[in-house]
Amino acid sequence: MTGLRTKFYLDRQNKKWLGVCAGIADYTGVDVTVVRLGFVLGTVFGSGTMLLAYWIIAWLAPKKPSELYDTDPAQKKFWQSVRASPRRAGRDVRARFRDIDRRLADVETYVTSSNNRLAREIEQLR
Amino acid sequence: MHGPEILIPILVVGMLFIGLPWLIFHYVTKWKSQATITTEDENLLDELHELARRLDERMVTIERIVQADNPNWRALTGDPVESALEDRSERLYESERTSNRPARRN
Repeated sequence: MTGLRTKFYLDRQNKKWLGVCAGIADYTGVDVTVVRLGFVLGTVFGSGTMLLAYWIIAWLAPKKPSELYDTDPAQKKFWQSVRASPRRAGRDVRARFRDIDRRLADVETYVTSSNNRLAREIEQLR
Repeated sequence: MHGPEILIPILVVGMLFIGLPWLIFHYVTKWKSQATITTEDENLLDELHELARRLDERMVTIERIVQADNPNWRALTGDPVESALEDRSERLYESERTSNRPARRN
């Protein structure tokens, strides 16, 4: 059972024909024109096997739920990286938390070690 | 059509209707058995991603405030270990001084 956002869907909002190429582009992050070009060339050189594959995909894959369309570009990119490799996406999130931790430590060091304004205010409270 | 020529349509039909679906479903099953994440994992990852984004925004705000307070504050952080030690001893001294004083809390 995979999650809602890591499934393959047909992208009906950016479709040209049935939304398979747009779906692949949305799933992987590859440019949609490249995917379409690949399908067209595959149809021409593979004497129609790509067309059959296209139909099979269009028949098997579910349509994208409407609530998944309004995600912003950064969110979309993140989920594409999750689909490519969940482990690496998890590591990326951990790296971001570590970065925040380091920066917060810097600010903490500055605030606690610089005895200027804070010390003055503590003096005033006494 | 005689002889080996009769075999060609059979071969083509066999390839098209057995070979090709077989190939496709072979890769579909292979792709499905790959490392996928469950709905809970996905929700957890979504939450962590969102949390990291919000914390990052807050961190940027705080850094901007500190920057406005003292433009070269990064130079003052210096060696974290040294300043932390220095800071701790100072704090210890201060706490001693305050504890020696009679408590005047309301």
